[in-house]
Amino acid sequence: MTGLDRLAWRSLWARPLRTTLSVIGIALGVAVLFAALATNAGIEAGIGRTVDDVMGRSDLRVGAFEEHGLSQASLVAIRATPGVAVAAPLLEQRTYLQRDPLATSAASADAYLAPVAVIALDPAIDGAVGGIHEVRLAAGLGLPSGRDAEALVPAAFAHDLGLELGGSVTLLGVNGPVSFKVVGLLAGKGPDPTTGERTIIVPLAASAALFGPRGVSWVDVTLAGSYTVDGVAAALDQRLTFEPYVLSDRADLAATLQASTAGFQAMTALIAAVTLFGGAFLIFNTLSMTLSERVREIGLLRAAGASRRQIQRLVFCQALVLGVAGSILGLLLGFGLSILIAGTVGSLGEGVPIDGPVVPLPGVVLAAVIGLLVTFAAALEPAIQAGRISPIEALRPPVAGRSSIASQMRWLVAVVVTVGVAGLALWPIGLGPAGSGADPGATIARPLLVYAVLLGVTLLTPLILGPLGRLAGLPFALFLPAETRLSRGSLARDRKRTALTVGALTIGLAMIVALGSLAGNARAATEAWLTDVIPGDLVATSIRPISADEGVAQQLAAVGGVARVSPIARFAVAFRGVRLDAAAVSGSDLATDGRLTFVAGERRAALTALDAGGSTIVPRAIADEFGLQVGDTLQFPVGGGEAVAERIVGIVARGMPGQSGEAVLLGWPDATGRFGVLGADAFAIRFAPNRATDAGPTLAATARGLALEPTPLAGIEGAISDAFGRVFGLFDALALLAVVIAGLGIVNTLTMNVYERVREIGILRAVGLSRRQVWRMVVVEAGIMGVVGAFLGCLAGVVLGFALGGVAGLGWASGAPTIPWLTIGLAAAFGIGIAMLAAFQPARIASRISIVRAVQFE
Amino acid sequence: MSIAGPILEARDLTKRYALGQTTVDALRGVSLTVQPGEFVALMGASGSGKSTLLHLLGGLDRPTSGEVILGGETISDLDDDAATRLRRDRTGFVFQFFNLIPLLDASENIGLPFTIAGQDPRRGEAADRIRDVLGLVDLAGKERHRPDQLSAGEQQRVAIARALVNRPDIVLADEPTGNLDFTTGGEILEALWRSCAQRGQTIVLVTHDAKAAAYADRVEVVQDGVIRDEIVLGRRSDHAASPLIARLAQLGL
Repeated sequence: MTGLDRLAWRSLWARPLRTTLSVIGIALGVAVLFAALATNAGIEAGIGRTVDDVMGRSDLRVGAFEEHGLSQASLVAIRATPGVAVAAPLLEQRTYLQRDPLATSAASADAYLAPVAVIALDPAIDGAVGGIHEVRLAAGLGLPSGRDAEALVPAAFAHDLGLELGGSVTLLGVNGPVSFKVVGLLAGKGPDPTTGERTIIVPLAASAALFGPRGVSWVDVTLAGSYTVDGVAAALDQRLTFEPYVLSDRADLAATLQASTAGFQAMTALIAAVTLFGGAFLIFNTLSMTLSERVREIGLLRAAGASRRQIQRLVFCQALVLGVAGSILGLLLGFGLSILIAGTVGSLGEGVPIDGPVVPLPGVVLAAVIGLLVTFAAALEPAIQAGRISPIEALRPPVAGRSSIASQMRWLVAVVVTVGVAGLALWPIGLGPAGSGADPGATIARPLLVYAVLLGVTLLTPLILGPLGRLAGLPFALFLPAETRLSRGSLARDRKRTALTVGALTIGLAMIVALGSLAGNARAATEAWLTDVIPGDLVATSIRPISADEGVAQQLAAVGGVARVSPIARFAVAFRGVRLDAAAVSGSDLATDGRLTFVAGERRAALTALDAGGSTIVPRAIADEFGLQVGDTLQFPVGGGEAVAERIVGIVARGMPGQSGEAVLLGWPDATGRFGVLGADAFAIRFAPNRATDAGPTLAATARGLALEPTPLAGIEGAISDAFGRVFGLFDALALLAVVIAGLGIVNTLTMNVYERVREIGILRAVGLSRRQVWRMVVVEAGIMGVVGAFLGCLAGVVLGFALGGVAGLGWASGAPTIPWLTIGLAAAFGIGIAMLAAFQPARIASRISIVRAVQFE
Repeated sequence: MSIAGPILEARDLTKRYALGQTTVDALRGVSLTVQPGEFVALMGASGSGKSTLLHLLGGLDRPTSGEVILGGETISDLDDDAATRLRRDRTGFVFQFFNLIPLLDASENIGLPFTIAGQDPRRGEAADRIRDVLGLVDLAGKERHRPDQLSAGEQQRVAIARALVNRPDIVLADEPTGNLDFTTGGEILEALWRSCAQRGQTIVLVTHDAKAAAYADRVEVVQDGVIRDEIVLGRRSDHAASPLIARLAQLGL
């Protein structure tokens, strides 16, 4: 360490507040970056674990397409296929619990309301240690008999239900309630993690009592010896001719899970990038300020013989110390943050699989390197400016603002672009080998768009700061005219510094508003979707298919105040080798109810054709994916080498919600006659005008009497809205960190403004400005910055919200953009509040300035 | 304000500073009276305590003991709010360094006491007073010039105008020519003297320069924290420094 290096260290040490703020700024940026990497790596690991849990030890899954499942003939054929070592059949069905008020406490009543997943397996070959699906028991014996009405329940779920080992659980079956004896408590969730904790395992042989005679949902297969997945799949194709099926292997499942988490991962990456952007602002501003404060000191060093290179080295040395300290602290904070994020994400349920954050070594290196890179990039311009200071500067009075706004802004652009591009290019590496599955193109497009908008606003800031500052000062001037006038002057003193400070706040607030806009769009789109396609005010769902001749629809329609009952069945079809969701609907009901928004095809003709058969209506998303048009004929294989041809008669903006996307619509004659659909699994019920309130309870009672579970549409929308709220709440929390960084920047800038104005404040005090007035002057200064930042941030946020809403790939957040007024109001209040809060310490310093010392200060 | 007797009175002032582990006695029992309309110079070498005395007289700092009475009111034990009002309404300061707000033009700098008091310096009596003092310090026509567009002497005259604009009981000037060349310094002292001679403004000037002190009616010589001597020069329009220099020589200063 040379003498000047020691000077760099001592200079940082001498300004503990500013040094601390800078380190925290970098640390928060690195922390969010690292937390995002660790969370995303955790999700990738979670996907791997989920695949293991779902597939167990199996290599291939033969899934049923049709409602009645895979037949015994298919199971026999699978077992006889060369290469198949073990074939384990499983049945998975949803049903409802029946609570015995005498045997269970009232406290557990809520736990009985939601549906449960019943998994039926063959205990002779599965569901034990060494089976394909391992079931770990916390207590009890497992399913010893293999055919009695015995059940295994996850221990935590049993606790919620108030059930004990040896007790009895009653499930709603197709022919009424069926009781099962609880013979074991599971240590985990059960063999299928996608069903969550609300799972009950019963023997396959005993499931017929519940669901009637039907085939299994899927058969999981392990391969023998040297057989390959492709080879066995080809052999199965030859032999399975009884009904349609779909084959999937572990890679297919991983790809599906990755696709479902891509939006989430992209969003965390985006917020991390933006937070780092804010961090870069802070460090750039700090080093620039330190430089302008030390012009005379550096002039003296130059006069004493220090070379330009030595001076530049001095600035870089400081940057290195700040960068290393910030990165180390950031990694520690980031680890803590990633645990919190993983906890929140984990609580979201089935959507995003994660057990906990995973620390990817490349991610640690990447976060630290980017932290240092940001620091160095930000230090480059101040270092060059420092090198240009001439010895003569030591003799001149201090001047504010050494370099032009244009040159600083050029540097800012360079810094941001460099850091942004480097970060984005290195991002997939940072996730480690597990992250290679993510689509880099989709991940990068959004951050680039966001960077471009934010950079544009930042560059615009110094140009409009003057008039905007005057406008922003008006409300303050009403109450504090003298302080406002002095504050405005101070902000105008160094426009680039003010612009950078306001810029950091703008960015943080823009992200909050943009996220609010996206969340609002997503909620509105979902609500509009359901309203657009469901021909009813509520949906009554059944655990078994209800055929038309059972008269259930008629009984529901007979309830006073019910205008229409429309049966719906959801099933799956195969198309071009992939599984598609399909829904059987009544075209005439949709036509009468005015549902569906047609983007191609003639509405009335299309819905009439649907009921006539041989026709299908496809959602726009599927039409776009497969390049389909009205008039095209689709071939759906249905087993035995046969296929059903359906002509597209219309394309709609949104189809029915399916299991994993939107469903193609088919008429009831085709569904039952050609696809083997046994009956409706839901009824959309429309009340007569103004009758929902009085007819609702009667209808609910009638539905429950028919073993149907009625759910109002608003309830479905509310549940979706809640899920969005939790996801976006997490994003908001991350974006808030960017605003906190901006708050640190404001503390930094105001403190610097105060220190630069010690003499000026001294004069004002000598002339008669009170301590309170000084205090208020600094707070108003922050307030004006807050108002300007809030205005620009909200504006940029709305633009971003619109822009991001239009980018493909944000499936859950697409829809007609809306302006989130509430979020804008809250973000603006938060921004102005944090700015004024940030002024507290600088204002305190300013108000305590001694007049005597200030006027002697040169 | 018309008051019989002194406008300003200091009684047995002491000021003790802590300097690391040691304490420094900047003032050790100083008593002084200033009559209304009088021009008094406090003269002494660097570190003699003259500036400390001025700060106590103007209510910028509090004495360790003793009291300062301005216009019959004790100002040495005022709380911060009262001291602030005192500075705004009853005293005016001129410092050695240029002491202007760089962002405000000459007129706005002069009008600062009005701005701080919540008045609009561009209107009414405030505007009249600003015009008046601008004429007094010979800066008419430079109202809209910012400090960096004014010479050092002009800047200091703006500071004097600001000190005078509120018609304070007393103007306290701390080495106002210390940073200026001889000619420019002369202009500043002329401006101060004019305000005293033409407007009856009471002035206390701190200086180490005998030529500057020669503008005063009376010179108090400060040395080692006490007033070593008093030299009465009387009101003179020629401001010749020779009688003062001769007297200082007699004192061995």
